[in-house]
Amino acid sequence: MSKAVMQLKNLKKTIKNKPIIKGLDFEINSGEVFGFLGPNGAGKTTTIRMMVGLMSMTDGDVIIKGHSVKNDYKKAVQHVGGIVENPEMYPFMSGRKNLIHYSRMVPGVTKERIEEVIKLVGLEKRVNDKVSKYSLGMRQRLGIAQALLHKPSILILDEPTNGLDPSGIREIRAYIRRLAAEEGVAVIVSSHILSEMEMMCDRIGIIKNGELISIQSVNDALQQSEKKEVSLEAEPMAEAQTILNEVIEGDVQQNKDALTFTVTREEIPGIIARLVSREIDVYSVTVTRSTLEDKFLDLIGEGAIE
Amino acid sequence: MSNFIQLVKNEQMKMYAQISTWVMLIILAVLVIGFGIILKVDGGMTQQEAPAGNEWREALQAENEQIESEMEEGSGFAPMNEETLAKNQYRLDNDIAPSGYNVWNFVQENRTNVSIISLLTIIVAASIIANEFKWGTIKLLLIRPISRSKILAAKYTSVLVYAATMLLLLYVLSILTGAALFGTNNFNEPFLFMKDGEVQEAPIFQHTASQYLLSSVNLFMMATFAFMISAVFRNSALAIGVAIFLMLSGNSIVAFFMDKEWAKYILFANTNLNQFFTGTPMIPDLTLGFSVSVLAVYLILFLGLSWLFFTKRDVTNS
Ligand SMILES: Nc1ncnc2c1ncn2[C@@H]1O[C@H](COP(=O)(O)OP(=O)(O)O)[C@@H](O)[C@H]1O
Ligand SMILES: [Mg+2]
Repeated sequence: MSKAVMQLKNLKKTIKNKPIIKGLDFEINSGEVFGFLGPNGAGKTTTIRMMVGLMSMTDGDVIIKGHSVKNDYKKAVQHVGGIVENPEMYPFMSGRKNLIHYSRMVPGVTKERIEEVIKLVGLEKRVNDKVSKYSLGMRQRLGIAQALLHKPSILILDEPTNGLDPSGIREIRAYIRRLAAEEGVAVIVSSHILSEMEMMCDRIGIIKNGELISIQSVNDALQQSEKKEVSLEAEPMAEAQTILNEVIEGDVQQNKDALTFTVTREEIPGIIARLVSREIDVYSVTVTRSTLEDKFLDLIGEGAIE
Repeated sequence: MSNFIQLVKNEQMKMYAQISTWVMLIILAVLVIGFGIILKVDGGMTQQEAPAGNEWREALQAENEQIESEMEEGSGFAPMNEETLAKNQYRLDNDIAPSGYNVWNFVQENRTNVSIISLLTIIVAASIIANEFKWGTIKLLLIRPISRSKILAAKYTSVLVYAATMLLLLYVLSILTGAALFGTNNFNEPFLFMKDGEVQEAPIFQHTASQYLLSSVNLFMMATFAFMISAVFRNSALAIGVAIFLMLSGNSIVAFFMDKEWAKYILFANTNLNQFFTGTPMIPDLTLGFSVSVLAVYLILFLGLSWLFFTKRDVTNS
């Protein structure tokens, strides 16, 4: 399970004397969804371009299934499918013709396989239409379809949810999870939005200014932040706030018709019992899981998002 | 190898999926057919019938006598007169009747349309790489287990296939249009030409086909040039502009530097290979062998630069 399918070794890129990527070292394991997270301009796309050979490496190497991208490009890249930045297809051809085009570029992609991926991404109805008539979501799906044609071991998706509406994002997320679970494909997804990453990734690496500043599994990160944010609807509100202030160390904030505060999970029952005993009517208690967001912002610094 | 053919098939598929390619084919067809119709309607030279029966003999003899008397007076253009004289005599001796305006005259006149094909091929050659960058599809094209050299070769081959298709279309359409409008009498007439002061015969088909091919040398070089600019700068407008400008001003450039020692190394001094078969070279000390060598060097230079830039440069957005 945890066999590395891709290894980055001291990967560096300098463009016009400006270091863009400053030495990345990490591994991607088969069957995992790896989130590559970082603010705009952090160097995600540049790293991905080097992984697939679109850009030369200034130093270091990327090893895919034991083959060096630098020295043995064809063998290395035959295991990779991907989309780099936008899913750009030939607009004047149908979705199917686009897939036929790419299928001719790798050995062993049968007609049946083309139909299979069309079904997998749910494009059956529109696959004979010209791509110029596709919505962004459909192009994204066609992009994934072309990346899957040759059954790659690694799927690289650069900002696949960019520009999609929430239902589109949910769909993409579902595909990605399914691919990893059912086909054992390792998926690398880049994004600058943390909440998206949390929901689909097993591990997240955070990159900032061309450096990897943290890498950890999503479950670990969630457990680490023990404190939960709780929002509470109660009447009368002012009185409830007074009581809460008595028992809670941190701030109690009032926004709209709810009070929000941060406590550990264990403290919650006691607080509610106390409110009830003081004859406060409690209408709802919502525990919003503390996200990685704080951690993310801590790590990259608020000012990092240009 | 099989996967190289697949790549060429891909390029052809993309080419013919674009409306512009079809517009180009239609432009060429309209030019040929339109030109034929204008010639037919306008009459003039195409109307004159070949003299029937044995009248042609008398006509040729009369013409020859007139030329001879002109030559004695020292008027007229001597080399041309001598050629006509010799050819007429050859016809009389070998019983080859001259034909009126027929399909083959039309095919020969349509050779001028090769320059239209040059223009269209330049556009195709300039776009085939640059457009992939413009559309952003270059990224998905290059992340396959295929070397960039092979993809470049497939694109270049595809340009050549396009040019060959257009030339064949021009040739075949000229024959069809010519046959329909001007008839196929004397379809198998031989082509007469002078070589070393002697009149020679060649099948007309062979003659016209080789003329078309010789005229395509310039097309071939300029298309390769446009392809190179497109590979280096990734910009089709630039490639089209520079290539067409050079194509149109090629002869003026040669004329301008005519007296320079190095003028014979200019590409355009060597692209007109026809000059070695009919007529005199623009620059006296040019030979066929020399021109072919110069062309080969330019070709290697253009293709080498294309290869260098296409395979070595990073693919970025800028
Ligand atoms: N071709 C290039 N020339 C100069 N700088 C570049 C080039 N490509 C990217 N950069 C710079 O590299 C940095 C990383 O860019 P990129 O990898 O696109 O970031 P991300 O995908 O994380 O948003 C940016 O600061 C960008 O300006
Ligand atoms: Mg990016």
